[in-house]
Amino acid sequence: MFGKGLLKGLSITIKRFLEPKIAEGYPEEKPTLPPRTRSSIVLEPGKCISCGLCVNVCPNQVINLTSEKDVNNKKVLKTYYMNIGRCLLCGLCTEACPTSALKLSQEFENAVYNREELLWDMIARSKQSNKSSGKVE
Amino acid sequence: MTIEGTQEYSINMGPQHPSTHGVFRMVVHLDGEVVTKVEPKIGYLHRGLEKIAESRTYAQFVPYTDRLDYLAGPHNSLGYVQAVEKLMEIELPERAEYLRVIFAELGRIASHLVMIASGSLDICGWTPWSYCFRDRERILDLFEMTAGNRMTPNYFRIGGISHDVPEEFMPALKSLLDDMPELLEEYYGIFFGNEIVQSRMKSVGILPKELAENLLITGANLRASGVQYDVRKAEPYSIYDRFEFNIPVLYGCDTYDRHLIRLFEIQESSKILRQALRDIPDGPVMAKVPKVIKPPANKIYHRVENPKGEMGWYIVSNGTTKPARVRIRTGAFVNVQMLPAIIAGWKIQDLVTIFASMDLVLGEVDK
Amino acid sequence: MDALNNVFVNIADAIRGLFADSHSFGADLTINIIVFIMLFLIMVVAALFLSLVERKFAHWVSQRPGPNRLGPHGWFQFIADAVKMLGKEDITSANADKFLFKIAPMILVGITLMTFGVLPFGKRMVAINLDLGIFYFLAVSSVSTVALLMAGWASNNKYSLLGGLRAVAQMISYEIPLIFSLLGVVMITQTFNLSSIIEAQKTVPFIVLQPLAFVIYLISGIAETNRAPFDQVQGEQEIVAGPFTEYSGLRWGLFMLAEYGNVVATSAIAVSMFLGGWNGPEFLPGWLWFILKMWVIIFTMMWIRWTFVRMRIDHLMHFAWKILLPLSLANIFLTGIGIYIYQLLILRIGG
Repeated sequence: MFGKGLLKGLSITIKRFLEPKIAEGYPEEKPTLPPRTRSSIVLEPGKCISCGLCVNVCPNQVINLTSEKDVNNKKVLKTYYMNIGRCLLCGLCTEACPTSALKLSQEFENAVYNREELLWDMIARSKQSNKSSGKVE
Repeated sequence: MTIEGTQEYSINMGPQHPSTHGVFRMVVHLDGEVVTKVEPKIGYLHRGLEKIAESRTYAQFVPYTDRLDYLAGPHNSLGYVQAVEKLMEIELPERAEYLRVIFAELGRIASHLVMIASGSLDICGWTPWSYCFRDRERILDLFEMTAGNRMTPNYFRIGGISHDVPEEFMPALKSLLDDMPELLEEYYGIFFGNEIVQSRMKSVGILPKELAENLLITGANLRASGVQYDVRKAEPYSIYDRFEFNIPVLYGCDTYDRHLIRLFEIQESSKILRQALRDIPDGPVMAKVPKVIKPPANKIYHRVENPKGEMGWYIVSNGTTKPARVRIRTGAFVNVQMLPAIIAGWKIQDLVTIFASMDLVLGEVDK
Repeated sequence: MDALNNVFVNIADAIRGLFADSHSFGADLTINIIVFIMLFLIMVVAALFLSLVERKFAHWVSQRPGPNRLGPHGWFQFIADAVKMLGKEDITSANADKFLFKIAPMILVGITLMTFGVLPFGKRMVAINLDLGIFYFLAVSSVSTVALLMAGWASNNKYSLLGGLRAVAQMISYEIPLIFSLLGVVMITQTFNLSSIIEAQKTVPFIVLQPLAFVIYLISGIAETNRAPFDQVQGEQEIVAGPFTEYSGLRWGLFMLAEYGNVVATSAIAVSMFLGGWNGPEFLPGWLWFILKMWVIIFTMMWIRWTFVRMRIDHLMHFAWKILLPLSLANIFLTGIGIYIYQLLILRIGG
């Protein structure tokens, strides 16, 4: 009979109309992201040995670090900047770090109003850690 | 001065338009409502990926490959890493091969879901679009829980994959596969079985078999015109020769068949996924790869069956850590030629439908 | 229940009583002005509210909550929409034909308001009790075609021109099945007056006697109001809003007002002609039955919109001229035979 497909479509729509809602009400219900999600990056300056592997492996030249030599002639981290606006969030830097000083976090609300704020000073950010959500793997 | 009779006019369906899939521009020459000529103008998303590849090492280029066909996340890197592994002659552990096939087929299902969804959206069917995207969310959640990102997971590495799947992965994948027949029924009932959709799409935009072969159309568009050709069966790569699956072929050559065949391909991919889930062994997921990847100076061309068509990777290496030339032959770039070749005589509304059935993604067209 | 039934009539009588001669020119003028303002408010509120209901319906079909920020579960969203529309910049394209561009939305809204004048919301609650009721409605609503063509031409935009011409083709094709499907009802009741037609449905609504005509009327009504699956006037995926592309701010708001006003008017006519109007069991007042039945028809129209896809322009014309028109002619023929047989039986039996 002509029109059978149309009636089937109508029955599917009305069935879904009466089912409960599955959308997530965003600002009130925040999602819990799985632990491996790459939303932003945190640095633990204490563990960093300034080897520079992360700088070399990054495809986009996002990381910029300087170091100095201390009394025992070992490298100590001085500044560590990441231009997070150019970052692809590929995760190659966190995989390359030998001491796991650089880690991924699940904090996804990183939007800012000025482009200059996208140049992250990782050492300052790690001092004011305990920032909102973000389980760190 | 009066003009006798009617006049042809041209409309610019520009880079910003509600229904061109991405930044695609066409100049359409019309006679009333009938299209006489279409000139596609591409290049609005050109990012110079092939040139970027010449200044990145082999391992650093993998995140960029995800951005080619961004709807089928991990599938694009499959061709690239396999080409480099062929150059370096690396053997992968079994578990890595199985996991690669699982992720590649999940990417294929995700891409076909978007194609069906946007094919429906272009003829004002908002509901099938939201149903397809609701199910694509489950696949993207699988990508996120394993690899970290949803659309550009950066999961494959030269020599295997980056890390093993977490424990929640297998049950979630199994529940998705169990729900799949019911979901396909729903798509069929609300979209393909609808008589209005059939009258809109059947016998519209015929792509004859000879023309398809002459224009080197590949992928599902070719199989909907009656040619049984799939790179996974013609030149099997990875471990596809161990799985039992069919290549769906339809002979209608029209828009409806081009959409319907992707539904069948989703079915076949779920078959492959079920077999992979059943047979996957335990073991390591990364082969022994030297720290610095320096393939010997050689050239190689490797082909895979991307959801959009056949994707070919031509890599020329000169013995250093960075490739000398990477040339990507993408299916969508070649499939664009289909549009001017078959459009003459159809109406504007058919232009939108035919364009949707070609399944273009501008990331692949413009690289 | 009688008091509730007649509450609006009683208010009108009380206002008339304030004048010395309750049917003088002054009294009539006052009542007419008040009724006009009420109709205008009904149209505006209905249009705003319906656009919100449509969005909610569309989202509930995909299991999403819809707008849910403003008010309880988002039901005050239409206030924000109205304020937003009033606050937008009014852009007139440089080379547009300014006079036609500006009066096109006004004509469309004016026509919709004129058709509201004959809708019988309840017993003796009709603005103008015309004996030409349904004929007037159909004649006036046909003029909206010209308004869309004006909008399409005056915008100086190829997309708008295409949309305007499609509108002309579609709307004049679907008027014929629309009119012919209503002819069956008129043949049974022998009058054009809407209130009399409703009173003739006291025992059985005409949908039982004319099911085919009801279906044809509903389909043609959806086509006349340019809703999916017949909405390629505002193609959106092809011609980016058709004749409405160049309108912004309040002018576009007037178009939306006219569209939803037409939806209300079409469903009100469907209720009056086929579903019994304000007749119904006594536990609810008559005008409430009218509103509830109108909601059922509007719900059906929305259900159809969010399930089906758009038809192609030539399939649409094919459908109107080759399928709906013969069916409606067949309906008239069958109705005629039915009336003849009925009269024969009554004459035989009645003696």
